[in-house]
Amino acid sequence: MTLTMDWGLLLPALLPVAALALILVVEAIAPTARPVLVVLAGFGLVAAAAETIPGLVGDDDPRLTLCTPAPDGRCMWDGGALTSTLQLAILLSTLAVLALISVRRAGVIELVMLLASASGGVAVVAARDLGTWLITLELATLPVIALVAWRDRRAAAHGALTLLTTSLVSFGLLVLGTALWVTATGDPTLTGESLATAWAVPEQRTLAGLATVVLLAGLAFKLSAVPFHAWTPTTLTSGPLPISALLASSSKLAAIGALIVVLAPYDAVVDLSPGPHVVVAALVILTVASMLTGTVMALRQTEVVRLLAWSTVAQAGWILLPLTALTVAGRQAAAVYTLVYAVAGLVAFAAVRAIHGRRVEDGRELTAYTGLFRRDPLTGGALALALLVLAGLPPGVIGLVAKIVALRPAVSAGLWPVAVVAVVAAVLGIAVYVRWFAVLFGEPTIDAPARPAQRRASLGVALIGSAVLVVASALPQLLVGLVS
Amino acid sequence: MALIAMLVVPGAVGLWLMTGGRALDVATARVIALVAAVVGGAAAVVASAQRPVIDRAWIPDLGVRWHFEIDGISAPLVALTAVIGVLVVAHAWAEQPWLDASGGERGSAATYLGALLLVVTGAFAAFSARDAVLFFIAFEVVLVPMWVLIGRYGDPHSEAKRADASARFILYTAIGSTLMLVGILLLVWQAGTADFAELPAAAADLSLGQQTLIATLLTLGLAVKVPVFPLHTWLPAAHTTAPTAGSVLLAAVLLKLGTYGLVRLPLANVPDGFSRIAPVLAIAGVIGILWGGLICLVERDLKRLIAFSSVAHMGFVVLALASGTETGVQAALIGNIAHGVISALLFVIVGGLKHRWGSVDLAIVRPALREVSPRLGFALILGLAAGLGLPGLAGFWGEFVALVAPWNPAQHTGILRTCAVIAAVGAALAAAYSLRVARIVWVGDEVSADAPHRAADTRGLELAVVAVLGAAVVAIGVAPVIVWSVTADAVSALVGGAP
Repeated sequence: MTLTMDWGLLLPALLPVAALALILVVEAIAPTARPVLVVLAGFGLVAAAAETIPGLVGDDDPRLTLCTPAPDGRCMWDGGALTSTLQLAILLSTLAVLALISVRRAGVIELVMLLASASGGVAVVAARDLGTWLITLELATLPVIALVAWRDRRAAAHGALTLLTTSLVSFGLLVLGTALWVTATGDPTLTGESLATAWAVPEQRTLAGLATVVLLAGLAFKLSAVPFHAWTPTTLTSGPLPISALLASSSKLAAIGALIVVLAPYDAVVDLSPGPHVVVAALVILTVASMLTGTVMALRQTEVVRLLAWSTVAQAGWILLPLTALTVAGRQAAAVYTLVYAVAGLVAFAAVRAIHGRRVEDGRELTAYTGLFRRDPLTGGALALALLVLAGLPPGVIGLVAKIVALRPAVSAGLWPVAVVAVVAAVLGIAVYVRWFAVLFGEPTIDAPARPAQRRASLGVALIGSAVLVVASALPQLLVGLVS
Repeated sequence: MALIAMLVVPGAVGLWLMTGGRALDVATARVIALVAAVVGGAAAVVASAQRPVIDRAWIPDLGVRWHFEIDGISAPLVALTAVIGVLVVAHAWAEQPWLDASGGERGSAATYLGALLLVVTGAFAAFSARDAVLFFIAFEVVLVPMWVLIGRYGDPHSEAKRADASARFILYTAIGSTLMLVGILLLVWQAGTADFAELPAAAADLSLGQQTLIATLLTLGLAVKVPVFPLHTWLPAAHTTAPTAGSVLLAAVLLKLGTYGLVRLPLANVPDGFSRIAPVLAIAGVIGILWGGLICLVERDLKRLIAFSSVAHMGFVVLALASGTETGVQAALIGNIAHGVISALLFVIVGGLKHRWGSVDLAIVRPALREVSPRLGFALILGLAAGLGLPGLAGFWGEFVALVAPWNPAQHTGILRTCAVIAAVGAALAAAYSLRVARIVWVGDEVSADAPHRAADTRGLELAVVAVLGAAVVAIGVAPVIVWSVTADAVSALVGGAP
C-alpha cells in the first residue's frame, strides 16, 4: 500500500522530534552545553509553530495527507484550520512552560519530555485513524507523568503515582473503546461514512455508541472531567508548578483535540433517527457534573494552586458544553473556549510563579496575595486580567465572548436546560474568581512573600499572555475566527 | 463622531484612571474625571439629538456587530445617564469615599473616579447598542466597576457588610444577565439575526411555545436587574452600603438597564410570549409595590427605606409594561426617567445626611432638618413629594399612567384591572411612608440648641447637584411632553398594531 505524503503538513509534529533527537546527540557530545540544549528546544517549538501558520491563513483547500490511493481514499492526517489552531496553541503553551521552568534549571530530561509531549499533542489533534490517534495521545500524556515525578519531593512522587494510575486506567479504556469502534464500524479510520453505515444496523449502532462512551470515559480522565477528575488537585498541587501549568494548558488542548477527532464522525449521524442519544447523554452528564463539582469545590479552596486545579475541572465542563451539540460549530466553539482558557490559565500560573519565585511550592495561600495591586502592579494586573477572563467579566471581554461561544451551540441544539445549569455554574464561577480578585486590593500585609530575584521569564510569560488577552478582548474575531 | 466620543472618552479615561493613573493625586484625578464626564455627557446629548449610527463588523463568526444608534426609547435614558454621570463625578468634591471613617486614605481616588466613569460608559453602550449580543456585553461592563464601588468605597464602618453587599450585587446581577444571555442566544438563533431593527420581524413566526420560553428566560434575567419582587433582595444591601455616588448610579442608571431591556428584548421581539407571562409579571410588580411600601412604613435606616421605595416604584413600571399597550410602555419610560431623577435626588440628600450624622437611623432623635439645614430640608420634601406622586412633580406621570394602562390592557383584563386597583392602594402607602419620613426628619423634634447631630446645610457642589436634580424633578413634572415627544414615535413603532 502506498501513501501520499505531504511533508509540510507533518512538520509541526516532526520538528519537535527532530529537536529532541538533536538535543540527545548534542548532550552526548558536549554534556556541559546545557544552554544550547534549551535554545535548541525553543527553536524546535518555534519552528514547528511557524509550520502551522499556513493552515491558519490558507484558503479552503482540504489539507489532507497520508492518504491511501483512490477510489477508496482515506486520509489519516488532517491539517485544517481547527487542527492548525490547536497545534499552534499546544506548541506555544509548551514554549511558555519551558520559559517557566527557566533556562538555567531545565535539564535534558525535562526538555526531551516536553518536546515529546508537544509532538504527541500536535499529532493527536491531526490524526484521523485510531492507531495513530491512540499512540500519539499516550505520547502526549505519558511524558507529563515523568515530568511530575522528576522532582526530589515525596509529594511529587505521590502526585506522579496518582497520575500514572489514572493514565493506566484511561489507557485501558481507550484501547477498549478503539477495539469496540473497529468492531462496530469495521474501519480503523474515523470517518462519518463508515459510522453512518454502521448506524443503520441496530446491533452495530449499539456497539458504536458503547465504543464512543468508553472512549469518552478514557478521555475524560485526561480532560479531568468529573467523575474522572480525582487525580487533578493532588497532581497539580504536588508537582512542580510549570508542569501544573502544562497540564492545565497544553495537555488540555491535546485532550480536547483528541475528543474533537472522535466526535467529528458524528456529524453524519446526528440528524438520523434514532440519533446518538447515548453519546449526547454521556457528554451532558460529564458537562454538568464537571461544571458544578469543579466550581463548588473551587469555592472552598484557600490554596491558590488547588483553587486553580478545581477551576480546571470546572472549565473542563465548559469545554465539553458546546460539544454536546455534536456539530461542527460545537467543535469549533470547544476549541475556542479551550484556547481562551489555556491562555488565561497560563497567565495565572505564570503570575503565581512570578510572585512566589523558585520556592513556589510553599505558602501559596490566598492571604499572600493581599494588596498585590500596590505591591506588584504588573503581576497583579496580569493576574487580575486572567481571573476576570476566567470569570467571564468585562474588561476580560474575551472570557465573556468565550462563554457566549460555548453556550451558543448547546442552545441551538435545543439543550437549553443544560445551558441553564451552565448559568448557575457561571455565577458560582464568578464567586470563585472574584474571591481571589478581591484579595488583590487593599493594603499589603507584612508577611507577604518577598519579591523573588529571578522571575523575568515568568513575568514575561504573564505579560505576553496578558497582551494576547487584551488584544483578543478588543478584537475577539482574531481568536474566534482562527478555527473556521 | 459624537457617538464615538460618548463611548470612548469616559471609557478610556476610566480605564486609565483604574490602571495606569491609580497613583494620581486627588485634585488632578477629580479634574480629569470631571472633564471626561462632561465631554462624554455633552457628546451623548449631541448624539441623542443628531442620532448618528456606528455599524461595523466586530465578531463576524458570531454575527456580532459594533452597532450603536440612539432612538426615541433610548434617547431620554442616554440623556439621563449623561446628566447623572456628570453629577456623580462632581459629587466627589462633596463626599470623599476614598477616605476611611477617621479621615485616613483607604483607597485611591483615581480608582474610585475611574469606576464611576466605567459604569457610565457601560450604561451608554447598553442604551445605544442595537445588537442583542452587544447589548449583553455592554450590560456586563458595569458589573466589575460597580462591584469595586460597593466593595471598596462603600460604608467605611463595616468591612463584612461591604463584602456581603458587593458579592450579592455581582452574583445576583450575573445570574440575571447570564439567564438573559441564554434567552438572547435562543432568540438570535431562532430568528437568525441579532439586529434590533430586524429581530421583531424575524421572530414573528416563532411558535407560541418558543416565544413563551424565550420571553420567560429574558424576563426572568432582566427582572433581577429591575428588580422585581422576589428577586430584589440584593438591592437594599447594595444601596445601604454603596457610597452616595454609587447609590445614585445604581438607582438612576443601572436599574434602568433592566426596564430598558424588558422593553427592548421580550416586549419588542416576542410580544405574544411576553403577554402570556405578563400576568405573573404584573402580580410580582404589585406585590413589590405593597411589600416595598409596607417595609418603608417600619424601616429605620433611611437609605434602606429609599431602596425599598425604589422596589415599589419599579413595581409600577413593571405593571405598566405588563399591560402590553402603547400607553403602558410610555408610562414605563416616563416612570423610569422620573424614578431615576427622584431617587438620585433622594440618595444625594440621604447620603449627605449619613455623611453628616454618621448614620441615618430614624429612631435617633435629631433636630428638625427644616431648622438646621433649610435648603437640604426643602430638597428632601421635594423628593418625597415627587416620590409619593404629587401632581406637578415627576413621579406623578409615571404612577398615574401606570395605573391607567393596566385598566385597558391588551390582554388579561381581569387580572390586570385587579392589579391596578391594588397598586392604587400601594400608591397610598407611598404617601404614608413619605409623610412618615417627612415628619421624623423634616419636622423633627425640638432639641436643645447645643445638641449633637447638627447638620451643616448644603453648599457648593453638593447644592449644585441637588439643585439640578430638583429642577429636573419639577421640569418633568410640569412638562412630561419633553420626554413623551421623544419616545412617542419609537414606542408606536415598537408596540406595533396594539391599541
